[in-house]
Amino acid sequence: MAHVVLKDLVKTYGGFKAVNNVSLTVNDGEFVALVGPSGCGKTTTLNLVAGLIPITSGDIVIGDRVVNDLDPKDRDIAMVFQNYALYPQKSVYKNLAFPLQMRKLPRDEIDKKVKDAARVLDMTHLLERKPRELSGGQQQRVALGRALVRDPAVFLMDEPLSNLDAKLRVQMRSEIKRFHQDLKATIIYVTHDQLEAVTMADKMAVMNGGFLQQYDSPAQVFAHPMNMFVASFIGSPAMSLIPLQASTANGNTVLTSAEGWTLKLSPRNARKVAGATTKKVVLGARHSTIKLHKSAVPGSIPAKAYTVEPTGDVTFVQAFLSGAIVNVSVPPTITVAPDEQIWLEFDQERMHLFDGETEMALKAD
Amino acid sequence: MSTIAETAPRRQTRRRMRVDGWRWGGRIFLVFMLFYTALPMIWMLLTSIKSGFAAMQFPPQWWPDEPTLASYQKLLDPQNSVGQDFLRFFWNSLFVSTATTILSVIVAVPAAYAFSRFRFPGRNFLFFAVLLRNMFPAVIFLVPLFILMRMLGLVNTHGSLILTYLTFGLPLAIWLLKGFYDNIPVQLEQAARIDGATRFQAFILIVMPLSTPGIIATAIYSFIGAWNEYIYAYTFLSKNEQLTLPVGIQRFFSENTTDFPGLMAASFMMSVPVVVLFLVLQRYFVRALTEGAVKH
Repeated sequence: MAHVVLKDLVKTYGGFKAVNNVSLTVNDGEFVALVGPSGCGKTTTLNLVAGLIPITSGDIVIGDRVVNDLDPKDRDIAMVFQNYALYPQKSVYKNLAFPLQMRKLPRDEIDKKVKDAARVLDMTHLLERKPRELSGGQQQRVALGRALVRDPAVFLMDEPLSNLDAKLRVQMRSEIKRFHQDLKATIIYVTHDQLEAVTMADKMAVMNGGFLQQYDSPAQVFAHPMNMFVASFIGSPAMSLIPLQASTANGNTVLTSAEGWTLKLSPRNARKVAGATTKKVVLGARHSTIKLHKSAVPGSIPAKAYTVEPTGDVTFVQAFLSGAIVNVSVPPTITVAPDEQIWLEFDQERMHLFDGETEMALKAD
Repeated sequence: MSTIAETAPRRQTRRRMRVDGWRWGGRIFLVFMLFYTALPMIWMLLTSIKSGFAAMQFPPQWWPDEPTLASYQKLLDPQNSVGQDFLRFFWNSLFVSTATTILSVIVAVPAAYAFSRFRFPGRNFLFFAVLLRNMFPAVIFLVPLFILMRMLGLVNTHGSLILTYLTFGLPLAIWLLKGFYDNIPVQLEQAARIDGATRFQAFILIVMPLSTPGIIATAIYSFIGAWNEYIYAYTFLSKNEQLTLPVGIQRFFSENTTDFPGLMAASFMMSVPVVVLFLVLQRYFVRALTEGAVKH
C-alpha cells in the first residue's frame, strides 16, 4: 500500500479546465471519496491518477514515485469501473488471472492467487462462468476480485455501485467498507452519491466545476461546510439556504427577510456576520436543527407548510421562507397539514452563515 | 358502465385483426420475393443438368428428361481445354479476391480503430472523405483509373484489380468496423492497460477477439465484392490467362456458340463460394457482440 499526493493537478480540454489546481494527499491505507455532481471533474481526476489520460500540469505521486509520465500498467494501481469492464470473452477465472498473466507470474502462483481471491470474495463456484452469466452483484464482485488479486499500491474505484439496485448497493457498500478495513488498502473512490461518500470514506474531497471545494473527514465536512456548495451538496435532505439582509441596530445584529420578519443573532453569530464583505448574508440550516412550533414562540419565524412527507421514522415538512425552500424534520407524532400556519425556530449554535457574495462560510474570528 | 365493458374488448379484437392483416400482407410479399429471387437460381440449376439440346427446346422441359452432370465434368476436367480455362479463371478470381480481402482487413482494422478511439485534427473530414468514393457510380472512375493503371504499368496485372477493389471495399469496411469498435466499451481497454497491458496488447488481447465477428463480416463483404466484380476486370485485363470468372465465363462461352448447360454449370459453381460465405456471415452477424461485457 502507498500514499498518493496530487499537487496542483490541472487538466484542460481546449480552453475548458476540467480539473483546476487540485491538490490533496491520500495517506497510506486511507479511504478517500471524490464526490460532486456530474461534470465536476471527479472522474477526470481519477483517470489522471490512473494514467488513462495525460495531465496538463501538476504532479501525481504514488508511493515515492512521481508517476506523471508512467503508463497505467507501471503505476501499480488497480481500478474498478462503473460498468465493471469485465472481459466478456473470458471466464471469471481468466478475468482474475489476466492481470497476473500480464505480469508474467508463474502459472501455479497465478492459480493460487486467483483461488485465494475467489475464496475471499466467496465466488469459487463462479470461476468457470462467463461474465454475462452472472448477476450484477456477482459481476461487481468479480471486478473487485480482479483489482484485489494483484495486491496493488492503490485501488481506484469509479462509481462502482451506481449500476446496482438500491438493496444490493447498500449490501455492497458495507462489503467494500469491510474490504478496506481488512486490507488496510489505500482507496480513491469516485461517487456522485454523497451518502456513499459519507458512510464509507475516511475523508471526502468535495469537487465542483473542476475545483476541490473541501477536503476533510465526512463529519467535519458535514458540520463545517466551507461554502454554500458543500453545504447544499452534503446531507439529505439538502441544507436550507435562506438569503437575508444583515443590519445592526442598538448593538444587536439582525437578519432581515424581504418578507419583513427579522432574526436576532447570538453574539457569536453576530461576530461572523461582521466579517462578511457585504450586507447580503445567507442563513443555512439543516432539517434537524430547525424546530417546528404550532404557535408563535419568541424568536420563531412564521411560515406556511407547503408539503408534508412522512417517511415513517421522521416526517419532513417543507416550507417557503424568503423564496427559499426550508426542510424541517419533525417526529411522526406531530401531524402537520399542508398550508397550515407554522413557526420555525433556528438553533443559533448549529446554524451556518455564508457571505452572500463570495458564498464562503463566515467564521467567528 | 355496461356499454364501456362491451365496446372495449371489441375494439381490441379489431386492432388485433388489423395487425394480422398487415402481417399476412407481409408474408405474402415475402413469399412473392422468395419466388422472384429463387426461381432464376432454380432455373440455373435445372439448366445446368440438361443436355445442350434439351436446354434449347421450346416449350421448355421443366424437369430434364435425362439429367446429366456432363457440363460439370467438362468444366472440372483439367485435361479438357474448357476445363483448363475454367479452373484458371477460378484460381485467378480466388487469388484476386483473397488478396483484396487480406489487404482490406489489414488496412481497415487499424484505420477503423483509429477513427473510433482517437481524436485527432481532421478526423471528421477524413472519415467522410473516405466515403467520398462511394458517392459516385463506379463507372465514372473507369477511364481515370485505367489511365492511372497504365501510368503505373499495372494494366494486364492482377495488381490493378486488387488496388481498384480496395478503393471500393475499404470505405465500407472502415465504416462497418468502426461501428463494431464503437460498440466495444473503452473501459475494457482501460482495464487491460491498468491490468498490465500496453495499449497495443490491450488491442490485440482484448479488443481484437471481441471484434472478430466484425472483422469476419468485413472480410466476407470485401471478398464478395471482389469476386463478383465485372466491369473493371473486363477493362483492365485482356490476356486470356489472367481473366477472372465473371469476365471469363462470359467471354469463353460466347466464343463456343452458346452452351447454356455449361454456362449455367459454371455460374452455379461460381456462386458456391459466395453462398457458403453468406451462410457463415449470417451466423456471425447474429452473434451478440459484447453481451454481458458491461451494464448499459
